[in-house]
Amino acid sequence: MTMNTRIPAPRWRHLNLLRWVTLTTVFATLLLLPALHLYQTYVAAHAYDLLSPGEQRFYTFMETLTSPFTSDPARDLDALKGTTWSANIFGLKLSDPLAALSQVAAGQTLYLPFLLSALIPLVLTLILGRFFCGWICPATLLYELNSNFGLWLRRFGIHSGNRRFDRRLKYAVLAAGLLLSAAAGAVLTAGIYPPAILGREAYYAIAQGGLGAGSVFFAATLLFDLLVARRGFCRYLCPGGALYALLGRFRLVRVRRVVENCNDCAKCNAVCEFGLDPLHDRFGQDCTNCTACIAVCPTDAMTFTLRLADVPPQGPGHLGHRYRKARPGGAASRSQEAA
Amino acid sequence: MRRRAFLESLAVAAAATLAPPRALPLARQRVQRYLRPPGALAEAEFAAACIRCGQCGEICPNRCIRYFGLENGFAARDTPYIVPREKGCILCMKCTQACPSGALRPLAHTAEAILANVRMGRAVVDRRLCLSWQGKSCGVCYRACPLQDVAIRVGMMEQPHVNDHCVGCGLCERSCIQMPQAIRVIPESSGAGWPR
Repeated sequence: MTMNTRIPAPRWRHLNLLRWVTLTTVFATLLLLPALHLYQTYVAAHAYDLLSPGEQRFYTFMETLTSPFTSDPARDLDALKGTTWSANIFGLKLSDPLAALSQVAAGQTLYLPFLLSALIPLVLTLILGRFFCGWICPATLLYELNSNFGLWLRRFGIHSGNRRFDRRLKYAVLAAGLLLSAAAGAVLTAGIYPPAILGREAYYAIAQGGLGAGSVFFAATLLFDLLVARRGFCRYLCPGGALYALLGRFRLVRVRRVVENCNDCAKCNAVCEFGLDPLHDRFGQDCTNCTACIAVCPTDAMTFTLRLADVPPQGPGHLGHRYRKARPGGAASRSQEAA
Repeated sequence: MRRRAFLESLAVAAAATLAPPRALPLARQRVQRYLRPPGALAEAEFAAACIRCGQCGEICPNRCIRYFGLENGFAARDTPYIVPREKGCILCMKCTQACPSGALRPLAHTAEAILANVRMGRAVVDRRLCLSWQGKSCGVCYRACPLQDVAIRVGMMEQPHVNDHCVGCGLCERSCIQMPQAIRVIPESSGAGWPR
């Protein structure tokens, strides 16, 4: 009887798979671009015969990889450069809004071409909130795998850290980063922001002959997530996440719970990487629209909506026993519940 | 004799350990004489404008651009630099066009734009080390220069004369066959301390 009352929801659940594909693609691209750069320099030097056998194998591999797309790699591959911190994609320059803000803080000057390159990400963040954190950030892939590793360790009785801190801590980190950048006259936020670090470290490791100091910092954040707080850096410390949370406060695209379909199983709360409370309609500005809760929901009770604020708390799900106990009428009293 | 040298070094080490810390050279030294990539803003503005994205190095066909770790202070971390003795800049100006942040001003790949805007440093010849100035005709730096007869001229016995048009790309220093090099680029960013 109650099963018949379910409202058909759009099938968003496959988006989570698409998200993993996106994250993996971004990460793979981050590794590919320095390799392409290295290959370009080999081509430009006309020095195949002088390369070591390993380098020659690399050269041949990259040649096979790029030959369908370009006959002049030394020139054409210049069209694809950069990282998620700042990139040039076929002439379109895109930069992280945090990079733009930090530069303004550090130099107290406005360089318009650079600020414009942060415009598209900025507008997308205003509409989609922290979507960068869920869908694009190369560190997210590693952090989520790290989280899954922590869950896997439970099988062996090892419990990874799950402490909670004040979410507003990251705004303090953002403010401190900007203030210190202004005081030092240097963009210091670049050194504590995982995606920027990962982009550079991938480049250093592949094309500059070794990892830099940033990899130590990143390894420390991984350990922090594993030992202290699940996804702790993104939740409580990331300056970029803080900026996007602020920008995405009145985002248009949100996940919402369809109370008619919800059975209070709380899988959404368990799966949420950011420790939010979808079960009680509390998403807040930290929701990355990652769709993990949509994918995990057994009753299709999670969907997207276009609203400037979260739906006010809707009470227990209509398929759960709490709702049925309170209202034996069930479906008949739904209109009263909404009113 | 070796034993005596060993004992002496042991004594020196002990003295160094026991000496007050102020006697030890603790002050941080610039690790290297370095150049910023072409079109760079003045050092202070550069540090404020550079967002450490690494695109200048990633587009450099010559792979001459490298990045600071922590060795040159925290504020300079991950900023690009060039060590001319290891690899000079070929003045392709790609990095200036790739730089999104304006730390390197975008420049066209023309001699006029380069001569007017690029000032990474200026080459200085040490005549006591220079082979040509010591009577053995060499001229390698002159031949390496991308701005031949503009930035560098040669006189009798191919003795190099650098003038104010030198943009400091460092190709002469890279090519100098003397060790230590007889021609070196004095960076624009270094200020005083290096003889002109």
